[in-house]
Amino acid sequence: MEVLLGISGKDFVLIAASKAAMRGATILKASDDKTRELNKNTLMAYSGEAGDTVQFAEYIQRNAQLYSMRNETELSPPALANFVRGELASSLRSRKPYQVNLLLGGVDKDTGKPSLFWLDYLAALAEVPYAAHGYAQYYCLSILDKHHQRDISLERGIELLNLCADELKRRLPIDFKGLTVKAITADGVKDIPYDDDKIVKSA
Amino acid sequence: MASGYDRALSVFSPDGHVFQVEYAGEAVKRGTCAVGVKGKDAVVLGCEKRSAMKLQDTRITPSKIQLLDNHVALAFAGLNADARILVDKARLEAQSHRLSVEDPVTIDYITKYVAGVQQRYTQAGGVRPFGISTLVVGFDKNSKIPRLYQTEPSGIYSAWKANAIGRSSKTVREFLERNYKDDMETEATIRLAIKSLLEVVQTGAKNIEIALMLPGEEIEMLPTDEIEEYVKEIEQEKQEEAAKKKTGRAGAGSAALPTRGQDDAAA
Amino acid sequence: MSRRYDSRTTIFSPEGRLYQVEYALEAISHAGTAIGILAKDGIVLAAERKVTSKLLEQDTSAEKLYILNDNMICAVAGMTADANILINYARQAAQRYLLTYNEDIPCEQLVRRLCDLKQGYTQHGGLRPFGVSFIYAGWDPRRQFQLYLSNPSGNYGGWKATSAGANNASAQSLLKQDYKEDCTLDEACDMAVKVLSKTMDSTKLSSEKIEFATVGQTDDGKIYHKLWSAEAIDELLEKNDLAKKEESEDK
Repeated sequence: MEVLLGISGKDFVLIAASKAAMRGATILKASDDKTRELNKNTLMAYSGEAGDTVQFAEYIQRNAQLYSMRNETELSPPALANFVRGELASSLRSRKPYQVNLLLGGVDKDTGKPSLFWLDYLAALAEVPYAAHGYAQYYCLSILDKHHQRDISLERGIELLNLCADELKRRLPIDFKGLTVKAITADGVKDIPYDDDKIVKSA
Repeated sequence: MASGYDRALSVFSPDGHVFQVEYAGEAVKRGTCAVGVKGKDAVVLGCEKRSAMKLQDTRITPSKIQLLDNHVALAFAGLNADARILVDKARLEAQSHRLSVEDPVTIDYITKYVAGVQQRYTQAGGVRPFGISTLVVGFDKNSKIPRLYQTEPSGIYSAWKANAIGRSSKTVREFLERNYKDDMETEATIRLAIKSLLEVVQTGAKNIEIALMLPGEEIEMLPTDEIEEYVKEIEQEKQEEAAKKKTGRAGAGSAALPTRGQDDAAA
Repeated sequence: MSRRYDSRTTIFSPEGRLYQVEYALEAISHAGTAIGILAKDGIVLAAERKVTSKLLEQDTSAEKLYILNDNMICAVAGMTADANILINYARQAAQRYLLTYNEDIPCEQLVRRLCDLKQGYTQHGGLRPFGVSFIYAGWDPRRQFQLYLSNPSGNYGGWKATSAGANNASAQSLLKQDYKEDCTLDEACDMAVKVLSKTMDSTKLSSEKIEFATVGQTDDGKIYHKLWSAEAIDELLEKNDLAKKEESEDK
């Protein structure tokens, strides 16, 4: 029941991830952060096999940082997405592949262009205007299909995100303990406040 | 005298020298000068910078001061290409360390690593030593204590309050020994670094590079005009001092001594 | 004296010098001249071809100019056999980067890859350094058009106009004299042939003796590079009045 959501707009990408860390049907923690900053303008959110996720995300994070140190410039979000895809693809063909699904969002620091990428554990990569992983796909994609436009502002993006989150609360059988929401803009990554305690009644 | 013992890459000669390492030290002395100075809560790196030729593309002149990680900087003297390789290894180690233990490297740790690599190249088969000395500076995580270390081609490393490497480093080090004071303010630290470099750099600000590190902040490369201002001040000071000396001497022969500055008397 | 330190491999001399590297540079100073000039809308590379024979096939691969990838070319001065190894390596490195990041490798990084390899050959035992200097011309989104020079020590630098090979000192001073900031690619081409005509041993130039290549931008913003055909070179020489005299007399 992990939730990953991504919405891009005119000059930003929003990424949201559920706060519950689960093992089977048990919630171990209600303040999990399933995201890692790869560099100043790129954020990656992950779900999947516990352990694999953090291990893989931090491995990518360190490699992105190494690139920044070595070349005194940062990888663009599309370059990073492609790098991640390559790493997942070679892992997939190893003895013990990483079971990780990812959303990668970033803003190109030179051109200001936002981009959002959807990757799954089979190393499929797609650039998309909005994306979700897990059960969230069933509930949220239809909402975003109807309401999303490419040039929306951050405020509108947050509105759409709340629309999606409400629907998840209404329909998902298990409480995912709220969302960590982050916005990536040309200025970097910032936290967006989200009300975890809001109660949404089912019909 | 040294017949044969300096050719097989690095081996002891009968009188106990490892010639290749000593000669690598000579390569360091041929490189441009670099200084490091610690202040109360800052550490400064300064480098002599060769002036760009007319046709050189100034966008692409690799600096002698480079970051190993966000909180550690390194300046070198010696062979440029060797430095690139060594810095690359250190950068890899810095990230690898973060990946395995979460924390960024301590300055002490990364210095030991750099020195370790240099040592290995003095003992491993079929390689020559790195022809560079380095100054490693920075702040450990959650620490406000400035750090400054030096590494040499032999693999020796040491901690310093202020030090110089490269061309005329002896002159500069002696100058630093005379003028270093404990717990300098940031401004004074920068000034001392520039002043010491001016001992060997005659051409002023355009041939000096200065990097400033403060705890928890990104490295700051001082813009040329700011260095220029320091240089002007320092030069003016020097002139005033020289003028003072002259008038003193002209005034009354032996009476000149007590009027001199304390520093001069100490020297 | 120096003999003792240069015979086997690259080691330090008592003065801290690397004789093998210096000798490699010496070898390059006998090779045909290569020059590169950075213009505001492109870059030109030109090189002198030393081996000329009537029997040599003219239209096959260039001897001194090579394409590294879609946005970079280079000129070679020195041992062509060594250059082939390095060029092969650079092409692979460029493709590997493209495979990993789905973006062209930034120019400086490709130059650095090559220089790191060159450096390795000055430090690891039993190997002599590569006897080649390269002049690279390329474009990337961060720094637009760029010109680099690298030598056997593994050092490299960025230039507005530079030269390597025989007579490179005089070529360099000619470039210094004539170089204009913000010149156009056409002007740079004219300058390149003029400089070559002065530094080459024979005053008469022909497409047999020189090679030419340019990197530029098409009207719709695409980056192109091209190795010039013999006809195009001759045309440029005619324009600058530097073409072989006999031909015109024969006519």
